[in-house]
Amino acid sequence: MTSIDYQQTRRFKLKKFATEGAGRLIIFLIGSVVLWAFISAFVVERPDRYLPSPLSVILSSADMLYKGSLLSFYSDTLFRLVFGGSIGILIGIPVGLLLGLNRTVADMFYPLLNFFQSVSGIAIFPVIVIWFGNSDTTVLIVILYTSFFPITFNVLSGVRAVPVRYIQAARTLGASRMQVVRDVLLPGAMPSIAVGTRLSIGFAWRAVIAGEMLAGRPGLGNMIFSGQEFDNTAQIILGMVMIGITWIVLDHFLLRPLEADTIERWGLVQR
Amino acid sequence: MTTLSKVSIAIQKRFGRQRLRKTILGSIPFIVLISLWELNTHFVWFEPIEIPPLSHVWEAIFFLQSDCPGFVAAFEGHYECQLSNHILSSLGRVVLAGVVGIPCGIAFGILAGMNRVVSGYLEPVGIFMNSVSGIAWIPLAIVWFGVGWETTLFIMLNTIFWLIFFNTMMGVRAVPKVLVHGVQTMGGSYLDTIRHVYFPGAMPAIITGMRMSLGFGWRALIAAEMIGGDSGLGFMIFVSAVEFKTEEVFLGVILISLIYLISDRWMLVPLEKWTIERWGLVWKPT
Repeated sequence: MTSIDYQQTRRFKLKKFATEGAGRLIIFLIGSVVLWAFISAFVVERPDRYLPSPLSVILSSADMLYKGSLLSFYSDTLFRLVFGGSIGILIGIPVGLLLGLNRTVADMFYPLLNFFQSVSGIAIFPVIVIWFGNSDTTVLIVILYTSFFPITFNVLSGVRAVPVRYIQAARTLGASRMQVVRDVLLPGAMPSIAVGTRLSIGFAWRAVIAGEMLAGRPGLGNMIFSGQEFDNTAQIILGMVMIGITWIVLDHFLLRPLEADTIERWGLVQR
Repeated sequence: MTTLSKVSIAIQKRFGRQRLRKTILGSIPFIVLISLWELNTHFVWFEPIEIPPLSHVWEAIFFLQSDCPGFVAAFEGHYECQLSNHILSSLGRVVLAGVVGIPCGIAFGILAGMNRVVSGYLEPVGIFMNSVSGIAWIPLAIVWFGVGWETTLFIMLNTIFWLIFFNTMMGVRAVPKVLVHGVQTMGGSYLDTIRHVYFPGAMPAIITGMRMSLGFGWRALIAAEMIGGDSGLGFMIFVSAVEFKTEEVFLGVILISLIYLISDRWMLVPLEKWTIERWGLVWKPT
């Protein structure tokens, strides 16, 4: 018996399907839902209060879909994330580039940006509430804040990391200041712009959820928070699953490939 | 040569010219910000209820601690020492969650990472649990444990455990099989491979996981204390904001960021550097 024969057997194919790729994911999903249903049915007392079964979560989602509230909550949250996040990033990239142009200015603002990157948006939330009240503006400002600082800080350090040799080479070949920015600094900072974008969106996503909970604006965060207030645990779990899946889709299918592609394409300078 | 230039040269030699330049330049924006803040109290561009005077923020420390009987009582958690109680209760949760969460995360992470099939199944669990950010667990934690310290501890523990578990698992999986086989060929047992290969090999990933879990965990803890806590810095700033005691809010925000910065930059970053230098054979950045 050669190994080729073995590889064609049904048992081998089954084993391969069960341990790799999509098959593994399907088996894992079915397994975890069965485990969840088992725990909810036999382990937990009062499952509808502490851990509702998968079926009741699906029923709750159908109910909310029928009423239209689920989609409106979801679109509110996504809109906040996209709107606030993109404004923060679109302001952050030019600011980071401008600050990075001059070594003195860059050294000056590096610790400041580093400090504000560490001050979480959730911590300044009460301050913003005092200034603007429990409004949509408050949530938006918190998102802007959380997305602006990581990207600016990353762009600044990315521009600084471009070797001076490349700038000097471009200058020697007669490039103007604009050309240096366009052809050397911007491509050189590309990988850190990608890394910063992913970081910014990651922090902004957490800030959206927390902001909606604290300010009580309609959205996924408020959906799970009101689920707790009205003893509707199925709604909480539904919201959590949606939050998790949205972030996985966003991170693994949009931001990570973007980051990997950017580093592959522009990452020469960083090495 | 005047005395002044002699002193300046001596200082530059002592601390290093570049470092001195960076420190002084870096402090300029902070000085400008603080002086703008101070000017605001004189010219009142913004009302004190919106931006409190710097001196009020400083006095808030003593106001909150005013009835504290003494230094020892502050550590024992006397109920009159409000500020130190809030700080200690936040820090206590971080320490407690770390003491429980880090060893558990490392142990399960190594066990799961040693087997390729098991780790393949558990990888989506880790990704999902890290994606449902700590904050999203707060309502469910309130349902399970009620408002109080259990909820906030659970949020912190949850964040720490899954990040450490996932990072350890990935770190263990990245250890080249050749090294494991090498130890086994020379007669090493399973325990030996864990002690001498997997654990040191995963060490840089574990430390990175610790840094990440402090970063995400601290944020989640503050949010948890605001929503479902009854003590801690997050609780303090939230209650003060409701009562419009802006100076206490500012004090709390500054304390929260300082505690995070000090623990991250002075404890975890040097630890990370040292670990990568010492054990970074297997996995080296740059």
